[in-house]
Formats: sequence, C-alpha cells, structure tokens
Amino acid sequence: MVKAYKQEHIYKHPWERVTSASWRKFADPENKRTLSHILEVDTLNRKLEPESGKLYTTRAITIHAPGPWFVHKIVGQDTCHCVESTVVDAQSRSMQLTTRNVSLQKFVDVEEKIRYDPHPDNPSAWTLCRQETSIRIRPLSALASMAEKVEQRCVDKFLQNSVKGREVMERMLD
Amino acid sequence: MGILRDKRTASSSSPTSTSPCADLRTAYHNCFNRWYAEKFVKGQWQKEECVVEWEKYRECLSQHLEDKQLSRFLKAEASGIPSDDQVNRKSSFDGASMGGAK
Repeated sequence: MVKAYKQEHIYKHPWERVTSASWRKFADPENKRTLSHILEVDTLNRKLEPESGKLYTTRAITIHAPGPWFVHKIVGQDTCHCVESTVVDAQSRSMQLTTRNVSLQKFVDVEEKIRYDPHPDNPSAWTLCRQETSIRIRPLSALASMAEKVEQRCVDKFLQNSVKGREVMERMLD
Repeated sequence: MGILRDKRTASSSSPTSTSPCADLRTAYHNCFNRWYAEKFVKGQWQKEECVVEWEKYRECLSQHLEDKQLSRFLKAEASGIPSDDQVNRKSSFDGASMGGAK
C-alpha cells in the first residue's frame, strides 16, 4: 500500500529569495498560526564544503498530528519526529530537501522530497518547486482496513499542509 | 482538545522537548538565516560563519535531546540525503550508537 503524488509550483521570485524563505518557513512567528502542526525545528547537524559551495544540513522537525481516537490508542502518542536533510549547491543554484519520519515507523513511512531550481524559462527571476511525497502504511493484517483509513488521512493531511506551506512561502516572499 | 495544549501534558508526552535550548536555537537560526541570504547565495560560501552560536546551541542539544533516533543524527556527520539503511533504524543499531551512555 503505497500512495505517491507529485506537485509543482512556480514562485515568481528568484531562487536566492525562495530558498532563504524556505529556511525560515517554520520559524517565523507570523507563520506559527498557519503551520500550527509544527511544534519544534532543531538543527542537528551542518556541514559546509567551502571549495564547492555545498551546504549540508540535517534538521529535526516535531509535528503535532492529532487524529481520531483510535489512532491515538494504537500509536500511543500524538507527536511525530521527522528528519529533514537538505543539500544546497550555491554554485549550480539547487536546493534539495528530503524529509522522513523517524518515529511511528512501525506504522507508516512518509518520504517527502522537495527541489527548488531556477525556472528554465526565467532562471534569474523565477523558481520551480517540485515536490514528491510517498506514504507507505506498514501492512498490519489485523488492522488492514483501518490502515486504509489512516493512509487516506495521512494523504489528506499532507496535501493540506503542503498547501499551507506554499501559502506561507508566498506570503513571506511578497 | 484543550488538554493536549496543556504545558505539563505536552512536555511529559514529548520526550524531545528541546525548549531549554530555545534561546540558543533562535540565536543560531537568526545568524544562519542572515548568513545564508546575505552571503552564501551571493557567492561568499568560502567561510563558515555562526560558529560560536552553533557550538553553544549544539552543546545544549546534546544535553537535552533525549530521543535516541534524533541524537543519532546529532552525532553523525551531516551527509546530505540519507540512504535507506541510515534511516531504517534497527534496535541493535540504536544500541550500538548509544553505547556507553549511562
């Protein structure tokens, strides 16, 4: 049981500005209300390659994921930790983020990949954002039908949140 | 609903509350965001900045980050996009990487 979906979005702002906003997305106080599912973001690691202009960063993202009571009952917690790994290549102007859950792996694997590249039609002024998300619910035979519901909920939740994330980005960029 | 927002409930149900590091975290992230926007993307990537802020913040995290899955990443080299086996945690792996912590 795997669900995957892709999204594309064009920001009519230069790559430098969009990727700067991406770093601040979760932290800016004015976004806290919209992105209320994000509880904490911590940087766990960073590495700069001064010769190549590549920056590697690992962040922990703690998400509040309220769900129906039966999910709480099974999962036993209402927060989820994700780890986000980012590579920015300042020379070729690309940013790639991969986010995965590290908690609740008994139940679900979520992987979200986001790329920010200069838009080929207008590389100095526009940015193309490509996003791929895959959600896999672990097969638990006794819980199969419930898992279906949880999976759909995950998909809905992710879609809602990625729309929110985009709104926040656009607001920051304006 | 409101009970979930209760501070005591939140901190007891969330083992990774790194709030003691909140000020150091803000200081580091502010410094990083400024460096990223004003230098790194403008071609000045040769010099690592915010080193003092980073060391203080990291030191605090290493004391307060209780979640084993997360502290693994604190100790590892930042190496970009994680491979599958880096993320697929096994209890034996956790045990090995956390060995010695008493």
